[in-house]
Amino acid sequence: MLSIWRISWRNITTNNKKRFFITLLAIILGTSFVTAMLVADKTTKDVFDYYEQMYVANADYWVLSDEHSYSEEMISSIQNDSAVTGTLLALDKQAFFELESDHSLNERSVRITGVNDQNSPLLKLPVIEGSLDNKGIVITEAVANLLGKKVGDTVRFTNMGEAKVSAIVEYTQLLASPSNWERAESTSFRILAPLDMLREWTGQYNEISYMRFQTKGDGEELFHSLQQSFLGSSVFIQPVVADDLQSNDIGGIYTFFYIIAGLSIFISGFIVFNMIYTSVIERKKEFAIMKSLGYTQSAVSKLVLIEMILLALIGTAIGVPLGIWFGDMFIQALLSVFEFDMVYTLNWELPTLVAIIIGFLYPIVFSLFPIYNAGKTSLLFTLKMANERDGSTRLHILRAVVGVGLLCFVFIDHPVTYAAVLASVILLFPLLLIGLSKIFTPILKSFFNYPGIMATKNLFQQINRNANTAAILAIGISVILLLGAVVESAPQGYEKEIRSTYGGDMRVTSELSWSAEDITKLLSYPAVTDVKPLAEAAPITWETVNEGKRQFSVISVSEDGPSLFADLQEKDLYKALTQKSTVLLGDRAFEEWGGNIGQSIRMNSPSGEQSFEVIGVVKTSHHSGYVAFMDATNLSNEFGWTNSFDLLLTVNSKAIDSTRDQLWSDFGNHLSKVQTVEDEVESTTSAISGMNELILVMLLIIIGLASIGTANTLLMNTYERKFEIGTMRALGFTKQQIRNMILAEGLLIGLSGVIGGIATGIVLIYVTSKSELMEGFISFQFPISNIILAMIAGVTLSLCAAWISSKTASKLDIQSSLKEG
Amino acid sequence: MIKVNNLKRDFLQGQQRTQVLKGIDLAIEEGEFVAIMGPSGSGKSTLLQLLAGLDVPTDGDIQINNKFLNKMNEKERTIFRRKKLGFVFQNYQLLSTLTVEENIAFPLHADGKLTNEKSKMINALIHSVGLEGLNHKRANLLSGGQQQRVAIARALVNNPTVLLADEPTGNLDRAMAEEILGLFLKFHRQNKQTIVMVTHDIFAAGFADRIILFRDGVIDKVISRKDSDYAKYLANFMA
Ligand SMILES: Nc1ncnc2c1ncn2[C@@H]1O[C@H](COP(=O)(O)OP(=O)(O)OP(=O)(O)O)[C@@H](O)[C@H]1O
Ligand SMILES: [Mg+2]
Repeated sequence: MLSIWRISWRNITTNNKKRFFITLLAIILGTSFVTAMLVADKTTKDVFDYYEQMYVANADYWVLSDEHSYSEEMISSIQNDSAVTGTLLALDKQAFFELESDHSLNERSVRITGVNDQNSPLLKLPVIEGSLDNKGIVITEAVANLLGKKVGDTVRFTNMGEAKVSAIVEYTQLLASPSNWERAESTSFRILAPLDMLREWTGQYNEISYMRFQTKGDGEELFHSLQQSFLGSSVFIQPVVADDLQSNDIGGIYTFFYIIAGLSIFISGFIVFNMIYTSVIERKKEFAIMKSLGYTQSAVSKLVLIEMILLALIGTAIGVPLGIWFGDMFIQALLSVFEFDMVYTLNWELPTLVAIIIGFLYPIVFSLFPIYNAGKTSLLFTLKMANERDGSTRLHILRAVVGVGLLCFVFIDHPVTYAAVLASVILLFPLLLIGLSKIFTPILKSFFNYPGIMATKNLFQQINRNANTAAILAIGISVILLLGAVVESAPQGYEKEIRSTYGGDMRVTSELSWSAEDITKLLSYPAVTDVKPLAEAAPITWETVNEGKRQFSVISVSEDGPSLFADLQEKDLYKALTQKSTVLLGDRAFEEWGGNIGQSIRMNSPSGEQSFEVIGVVKTSHHSGYVAFMDATNLSNEFGWTNSFDLLLTVNSKAIDSTRDQLWSDFGNHLSKVQTVEDEVESTTSAISGMNELILVMLLIIIGLASIGTANTLLMNTYERKFEIGTMRALGFTKQQIRNMILAEGLLIGLSGVIGGIATGIVLIYVTSKSELMEGFISFQFPISNIILAMIAGVTLSLCAAWISSKTASKLDIQSSLKEG
Repeated sequence: MIKVNNLKRDFLQGQQRTQVLKGIDLAIEEGEFVAIMGPSGSGKSTLLQLLAGLDVPTDGDIQINNKFLNKMNEKERTIFRRKKLGFVFQNYQLLSTLTVEENIAFPLHADGKLTNEKSKMINALIHSVGLEGLNHKRANLLSGGQQQRVAIARALVNNPTVLLADEPTGNLDRAMAEEILGLFLKFHRQNKQTIVMVTHDIFAAGFADRIILFRDGVIDKVISRKDSDYAKYLANFMA
């Protein structure tokens, strides 16, 4: 048994070192790419879970109100309940930092949360410096850095008071704050203060905004009895649910990167296939001899299988650790692109296990056919077959017909179209390669002289293998171009969606509900032409069809209210919503819920547990679609949410900034947030624009990987043509001419790969832009910068790949080539 | 005119140095047809490859048309080869992807642009080796004899100073061999083509003006058609 392993090892390492290394490199890259994605995905999920868990801490329920605050007496019974093991009282208050440096009110706005115990197990604060002494304020590191404050320094609040910093903590959702002044324009800072201190500053002695509590067991009984007892009051109770889908959509981004990882596996799998297939054909004679010596079919297959297992093992052993490292870099890049101010620890154990399995299996899966083929080697095998041109004319015609047939899928709006187009590209590539070679012949001739012409003839000799190699490059390029186009037009798509569903130009959020006088005052602003109230009930917990607990907000809509979602049948939907117990879901919420239109969704409303019929799914920019809409009347009467803390303003675009300043000075004592459409567009799209650079890096990696395939193919072509190359040398080709010939071959493969890739990419982009499924999210466009990069990288890297073989070819010894021929 | 002076070629095999050519002196006149014979392993092919500039001697000089082949670098030798020499191999060594015409034209293409005049010459050559009508046929689809004709035309396409042939009839049956040798003789007589041919076949050697016998890397004997004992020698050999 040991000896067969040793024989295999010798076969892969001594027969053809360069090819061995190139194939190994492809496996390593493919494996490390997948590993990186798995590690990054898992780690990112863990990071968000970690922060979500930290936010939830040990709390099981919380009692809130649809007003800014409520009297502590409402919950005194809970504090004394024997089933309750811990409570935390909190009061939110809007304030402004008092700073030496010059910043607008808007930038300085801060929400202070007063808590009765900073050390409560219902509150998890990752302290970096200082201690939670319930005497001073707690701020995040980012805020400390921006304000230039250290533990013990004093922070002052306009018209309120001052406090010492008692602790600096890591990022946590409760204290999510801007980390630069630019971001501070549209988001408030958040800090933690002792409840007593905040009450003293505000005079709200008996008031709290919410209370969280922990129960013995699940506390269901207490929950239901409290739900009953709070009916009719402004106070309501919700279970605490860890669900951050409203604040981020990072999972969607990974779908995207998994597509690229799958692509890299496919490319490196193809390289493995090519290598092992050629190696089997080269060694047919050897296998025939083995069989004549009594080896069985399966023994021959086993020998090749073991070679592959060895390659896969080495590839995994190097690729997986490398991938973990890539994954680490990838998360850093991703978090910085999304400006997430988070600390993470790499979670590599489980992803590594999965990666090891994938990394080990896929090279073997891709080599199964050649391995089977090796076993089938006939005893009467003649060497001549290896020199025969592959594929008959009839096969070529069949390939072309099927290829064109598959291309017709372009006219069908279905996800399968993408697979059909890619398959058709592979099938049609021999034709394309032949056509392009003919077109490029004059150019090659003027660049490389006769070696250029020989190059085209050589390519035709192994047309299928060369065409497959170029097709792989083309597919890599086309998929990345499509993804690039998606990323590039996503900001436009999002912007369109935000502008059409924001409901105004400016959203103004207050701690208190807006009074009629406030609205009159706002309408008196010269720049403000319209003011519409918006009620958002939050947090509302609900159940998926699989009874998973989730949390989102429910927003009021009405026909004469602001337009908060986009739908062709908007009017009908408004009308249908006026029916009792009906609700519309945003698309992401609908997906997470998992039910069908017409079914009911269960929610914990301020008026207790209720069921609502889902009458439609709509697109909306609010919480990126993780939201529900309810008729305004139903929201207050049936659902039990009566107040509105938000106003949507229609503002003259020239006066946005002055309006914002005026708002803060007029309503500063209860205003908590002023956000414009532009702010929302900017914060949504800036992260996506950052992804453009990631896409460019991916493009380079994929082209690089495909070029490894080109190097491998050309190397195989060279070894196979060893005797012909010897003959050419004997007949007067100089070494340089031999080198030029192979460079020209690489150039042809590279060029046709790039051209085919760009053409395919444009077809895919066109299909996507026309697709009803995408609802016009991407517009048809030529991603010029990506195309240019693909061209330069594709041609350059193909030439580099060819250079390796050209070196080998020019070093071939004429005499020995002639002798064996 | 070819002049070989004290030509030595050693091969290293591991630690072992074997002397394949042990100091050959030889002169071949312009227009001469020389056959080289000798036992297997005596160094005939080695000499021919040195003459063709496919290999470099360990010691000694090779002069062709007063140019020292052994003093040229690799590139100069390659260019000299394609301009001045023609080589015919035992196993034809045609390029399988090319047609008959393209195979013949290869040395000219390698050297630069193909002129009209040269194209005409290729056609004439195809005619004179008897392959009319096969111009555009792929070379590897031809019979052995036809392939060797292509190889001869290819070797002559640059008007070589000398045509070198290593067992050109070795893979052919008697009738085919005779036709090929007939072609050699034709070019030798009509165009005063200098030919150096290695052969195992005394019948083939009989076409030459002079026969050089090799043994263990040295020239054992030279017999010329002019020598009085030439006929006797041939007869002996055949018997
Ligand atoms: N590249 C090489 N490396 C080592 N030894 C070599 C090399 N080329 C030739 N030889 C050796 O040199 C000797 C002469 O070889 P050569 O091919 O010249 O013989 P030959 O006379 O042509 O024989 P044959 O009639 O069999 O063709 C042989 O022993 C051969 O093994
Ligand atoms: Mg020989």
